[in-house]
Amino acid sequence: MELIMLAICIWTLLFSFYHFCKKRDQCCYLLHYECHKPSDDRKLNTELSGSIVARNLNLGHLEYKFMLRAIVNSGIGEDSYGPRNIIDGRENSHSLEDGILEMDEFFKDTLSQLFVKTKVSPKEIDLLVVNVSLLSCAPSLASRIINMYQMRDDVKSYNLSGMGCSASIISINIVSNFFKSHRNSMALVVTSESIAPNWYSGNDKSMMLTNCLFRSGGCTMLLTNKPAMKNRSKLQLKCLVRTHLGASDEAYTCGMQKEDSQGILGFYLDKNLPKTAKRAFTQNIAIIAKTCLSYTELLRYFVMKYSKKKATLNFKAGIDHFCMHPGGTAVIEEIRKGLGLNHEDVEPSKMSLHRFGNTSASSLWYVLGYMEAQKRMKKGDKLWMIGFGSGFKCNSCVWEVIRDLEDANVWEDVIKNEKEEVNPFMDRFSWINQDTYDPPPGSLFQKKM
Amino acid sequence: MASSSSVKRLFQFIVNNIISFILIPITVFAAVEINRLGVDGIIAIWNSVNLNSVQILTTVFIVVIIATVYFMSKPRSVYLVDYSCYKPPVTCRVPFSTFMEHSRLILKDNPKSVDFQMRILERSGLGEETCLPPAIHYIPPMPTMEAARGEAEEVIFSSMDALMKKTGIRPKDIDILIVNCSLFSPTPSLSAMVVNKYKLRSNIRSFNLSGMGCSAGLISIDLARDLLQAHPNSYALVISTEIITPNYYKGSERAMLLPNCLFRMGAAAILLSNKRQDSRRAKYKLVHVVRTHKGADDKAYKCVYEQEDPQGKVGINLSKDLMIIAGEALKSNITTIGPLVLPASEQLLFLITLIGRRIINPKWKPYIPDFKQAVEHFCIHAGGRAVIDELQKSLQLSAEHVEASRMTLHRFGNTSSSSLWYELAYIEAKGRMKRGNRVWQIAFGSGFKCNSAVWKCNRTIKTPIEDSPWKDCIERYPVFIPEVVKL
Repeated sequence: MELIMLAICIWTLLFSFYHFCKKRDQCCYLLHYECHKPSDDRKLNTELSGSIVARNLNLGHLEYKFMLRAIVNSGIGEDSYGPRNIIDGRENSHSLEDGILEMDEFFKDTLSQLFVKTKVSPKEIDLLVVNVSLLSCAPSLASRIINMYQMRDDVKSYNLSGMGCSASIISINIVSNFFKSHRNSMALVVTSESIAPNWYSGNDKSMMLTNCLFRSGGCTMLLTNKPAMKNRSKLQLKCLVRTHLGASDEAYTCGMQKEDSQGILGFYLDKNLPKTAKRAFTQNIAIIAKTCLSYTELLRYFVMKYSKKKATLNFKAGIDHFCMHPGGTAVIEEIRKGLGLNHEDVEPSKMSLHRFGNTSASSLWYVLGYMEAQKRMKKGDKLWMIGFGSGFKCNSCVWEVIRDLEDANVWEDVIKNEKEEVNPFMDRFSWINQDTYDPPPGSLFQKKM
Repeated sequence: MASSSSVKRLFQFIVNNIISFILIPITVFAAVEINRLGVDGIIAIWNSVNLNSVQILTTVFIVVIIATVYFMSKPRSVYLVDYSCYKPPVTCRVPFSTFMEHSRLILKDNPKSVDFQMRILERSGLGEETCLPPAIHYIPPMPTMEAARGEAEEVIFSSMDALMKKTGIRPKDIDILIVNCSLFSPTPSLSAMVVNKYKLRSNIRSFNLSGMGCSAGLISIDLARDLLQAHPNSYALVISTEIITPNYYKGSERAMLLPNCLFRMGAAAILLSNKRQDSRRAKYKLVHVVRTHKGADDKAYKCVYEQEDPQGKVGINLSKDLMIIAGEALKSNITTIGPLVLPASEQLLFLITLIGRRIINPKWKPYIPDFKQAVEHFCIHAGGRAVIDELQKSLQLSAEHVEASRMTLHRFGNTSSSSLWYELAYIEAKGRMKRGNRVWQIAFGSGFKCNSAVWKCNRTIKTPIEDSPWKDCIERYPVFIPEVVKL
């Protein structure tokens, strides 16, 4: 009898050990990430932004004012980057090559540095996931990277497209799923957005916002599930939740690529976008709160709720850093209020928006870079990344910091100079907010700035 | 000749069934012995072995441990429940006369390009019933984003409606959605469009693959397989299509006019499952997926390349080395998949010749394994007549093996990633798919990629099939496709 009990105990121990080893091999570690910092000749300062807006002959006075107002109130600073064709004045005559050139500069800048800093060879990569929403070429950008860096012929590659500003979290989802069935692997995620071929040259106001907000940028990340590399890694993925509100027509159409009434292609942003973002976010929170908040906090919340008192979840009880998609000042503010955070908590997102603009899917990584450069990330901290994207999706993931992080990366110059966050457009264009003159409809605005 | 083939067949029979050859004599001998000893003799032997309880328990324990580890580390089976191919309406048909008339009107300043298109069409292997989307029927074509979305909605929703009717699945049951369309990628993605139309769940895991070429269908299957390993008890819906509307080349560069002649409208919706209850009703079980990417080689990377012509018009440039590169990519792919699918006899012969060439005499002819022994049916991507010819030669296939590919090219044209499913539907419609048969799907794509998937048929598929794209024309097939159709 005792022997049987002993056998059962040993079996349970061995089973648990095997299960533990399997789970450990499925963990997703972020080894390193490199954000793209384009060269200084690609900076879009106030002067240049104003002149680009002014040279669009399709704009009437009202549209011009609208665009200028949007830029002034966007929260973007003097140093964000644009693609070469727009800076050279060819925003309306873009070619496929311009889009590819923008991507090539990004790949060469970040990937070489990534491989050198991590001492990983491109031949060790088992999985490559690329996501660029607005550019789809043949061969895919994933194939382009495989060609550039001479990767193995059994590398698995996936090229995601059209998935919006939250696509980098979707790419991480593919990687973490891959790690569950493939041991000892390395994955490379490349996320960016193609601005060059997507400048809107029409005069539909709801499509002009993208011209004001989106900027060039990108990020490459190296992830692994090798247990031996855990100590060298920066973050470990704890959970990932995806919410898709596409079933609702209002959510589906709030961010859409389409032709305007004159047949010019642009990206339409609906007025209800912040409201839809809030709805998606609420659904996403409901699931992720269960996994990342401490039990005491959850207990407190339920007790308050059932005793019919006003119950709010204190997210700071489980999360130390909030990494929010800097989609625009309105979106950041909406989430800040929704989560009950103060301005310091959303400062990284606001700084990222100011310095780099909205770089779409890669913007979360610039926010992460800022927090790291400010030496705020300590071992054991929990970080919550929240991204929104057209569809309408809200994707979020929680990372745990493995070791104290202090790499200044692309924020080095900002940290060194300790620049004050000023709105550079206010000096030149602040009159736009007080301007109440509205000319009769149809009259063209000819004055040069 | 006949004696050597019968020797070969005997050799194959022996090697493939070697385990039976060893076990059968042992079983017969044991049965004879047991018969001789009788029941008492067996009990006497058992008592003399003298095992105590600890030893018995340890043996049982070790067996249990091994069984647990085996069952825990076994990958989940992935079943193909059913699939549905889009059948374009007759109004979208583009017979040769229509195509050439359009070509003459649109390219009136370039008679040499018109001639080129005519020569391609004559030798293409396409028939008179292939279809192009409505926007391309205009002179000149009107490829707006709205028209492209319209084509996407038409092909994808029709396939999905048919699939849901066939399988009885409800939209809320779908856990994973993967859409692949190479050259059209709007924002929100086509996967978001499907989620919107069918009101799929908000926790759906959706992915939209783009730019991955004609082999993207198998890439999506691979992704679905990986996802189904991580999510038990789930349904994955894969939609493979190519939207022609925005990609019709409007220029006159000859190398870039080729895709206009070959690519046609099509789509397929495939339902995959890892649920145990589907193991009975599923049509196929996924056995292997092998992906090969030759992108590291510059020539391979550039052989199918989207670029602007001197006039700034975007089109796909097909290099003259395409066939050679396809052959090399296929060789790499076969090297990996060969050991997984070839029977023991072929592998042994290959090993013997390899050792012989290395050690004894390098002049020995390399042994090309007979892949017809590995699988019963072949679905070769209907990329063009030349691709099918090349593969028939390298794999030494008979005309019947490549019949599905040739007839799909004839009836539907090159529908890119969905062509493999039209070919599978052809084999089923002909009543050739029996339980236990294996199918090998091979697809090539820009990059340059060669992807293969091997499926095993789960249940004999009875004809006539209710919702097959071949329903009204299967009796006419196979047709004889001449080398050149004089226009």
